[in-house]
Amino acid sequence: MPRLSTLAVFLAALAAWHVASTSGWVTPFLLPSPQAVFETLVELAGSGVLAKHTLVSLRRVASGYLLAIAFAVPVALLFSLSGALRRMIEPLLEFLRQIPPLAMMPLLILWLGIGEAQKIGIIVLSCFFPIFLGVRGGITAVDRKLIDVGTVYGFSRTEIMLRIVLPSALPSIVVGLRIGLGYSWRALVGAELIASSAGLGYMIVDAENLARTDIVLAGILVIGVLGLISDHLLRYLISRKASWLSGDLEMARA
Amino acid sequence: MLEAHQLGKAYRLGETEVVALAGVDLTFPRGSITTVVGRSGCGKTTLLRLLAGLEQPTSGALRRQGGPVRTGVVFQEARLMPWLDTLGNVSFGLRRRFPASVAEERSRVALETVGLSAFADAMPSQLSGGMAQRVAIARALVTEPDLLLLDEPFAALDAFTRRAMQNELIAIWQKKRPTIVFVTHDVEEAVLLGQHVLELERGRVVGHEPVDLPFPRDPTATAVNDHRRRILANLTAPAREPETAVLPAPDKEPSR
Ligand SMILES: Nc1ncnc2c1ncn2[C@@H]1O[C@H](COP(=O)(O)OP(=O)(O)OP(=O)(O)O)[C@@H](O)[C@H]1O
Ligand SMILES: [Mg+2]
Repeated sequence: MPRLSTLAVFLAALAAWHVASTSGWVTPFLLPSPQAVFETLVELAGSGVLAKHTLVSLRRVASGYLLAIAFAVPVALLFSLSGALRRMIEPLLEFLRQIPPLAMMPLLILWLGIGEAQKIGIIVLSCFFPIFLGVRGGITAVDRKLIDVGTVYGFSRTEIMLRIVLPSALPSIVVGLRIGLGYSWRALVGAELIASSAGLGYMIVDAENLARTDIVLAGILVIGVLGLISDHLLRYLISRKASWLSGDLEMARA
Repeated sequence: MLEAHQLGKAYRLGETEVVALAGVDLTFPRGSITTVVGRSGCGKTTLLRLLAGLEQPTSGALRRQGGPVRTGVVFQEARLMPWLDTLGNVSFGLRRRFPASVAEERSRVALETVGLSAFADAMPSQLSGGMAQRVAIARALVTEPDLLLLDEPFAALDAFTRRAMQNELIAIWQKKRPTIVFVTHDVEEAVLLGQHVLELERGRVVGHEPVDLPFPRDPTATAVNDHRRRILANLTAPAREPETAVLPAPDKEPSR
């Protein structure tokens, strides 16, 4: 449950917004009042427009994020198992990591068109590295002293990997997953702003073209809330399934 | 029987080479209990790691007679898996040999011998240092090893728990007769537990004290005190050798 002080801060921000928009300092066109935005939100929700765009965005994030996990985790594991492979390929990955995913947008549009593939592609590019680095880092940082315990028991390499290395890498993996989730949201909205016909990002640019600042703000609020919810869901899952990690979670704020 | 022939281990430390163990000849008869004493840094842990097969010797060799051995090790630190509760840690190595129910049953028995039945569900972060160490002891005992290697296992315990654990160890040894090598920096403990006390100094065995007293031994007995005094006198005698432990590193073959 959010604490009282947290609620107070949110309420204060809302109050400041209200004062700024109703006092006449800012024209309602640039900053509609909270009430106006709320009414727009109700209207968007009622007409089904909001649900439509939200679903499109959510589906993209889910596919992109899961696809990134499906790439990043095996690659990171392979690198940890084979030093030769890692030395061969890691420099190339390091190079690719320096490129902001949004800078790849024009290329992605040329290659994949402006359909779903391009949006999902940009999400995969954005959250591949946090997840990959989380798994790699966790495996590299494993305490050799714990591996000794398995060696004494006569564990095979696979057993050591599955029963010692991966569990002890979990805190770092979780941090990567959490940062990756945040990145995937940002990348998606960016992609939808540039070339799209549906999704929350599209809803925002479309509203901008129609000079509907209230819809823009409503969209922004929804994006923020959805991001918070997905992050909390991930945290809830972790605290249920891996309670000893709760302390490590706070590192993952990004 | 476990024999070490000119067993040596050198670590490279920058430009120098640290000789942690300088070619020792040792015999550990099957079913015997040997204690190893010596001051900090004299090579006790190194000897134990070599015996456990966790380290390869840089000189000499280890020879085992008889079939394959099951080794149990209690490390100087508890080394519990932070993601497993107490029971999970104790049964950690059993799961591959026994069905889960058998592993759990045996682990509960082992937890009882170290007096931690009530903490079966606790996570390592919720245990005190001494409790964690006792969990590590249970984890080593539960596999019923024929070679049990313990590295200062009771150092983190209070005097009363320590005495109880010492008696427990002797009871287990009398029942199952594993070969035990027990490292300690406490000379009294070495005399109370060992049939043989090895005195280690700067990687060399500088003394060997047979202790032929029945178990359990009384720490206040004169005989125990005599052994203790003799070992202390030997270990505090003026250095027999000049600083031989640190040598310039040879150019060839780097050590691990
Ligand atoms: N992995 C290593 N790399 C380099 N030097 C090492 C390593 N392990 C041990 N040494 C050196 O070997 C020597 C003996 O160390 P060892 O851990 O065997 O001592 P010890 O008798 O167990 O001491 P303590 O009672 O403090 O545990 C020390 O000088 C130490 O610096
Ligand atoms: Mg030591």
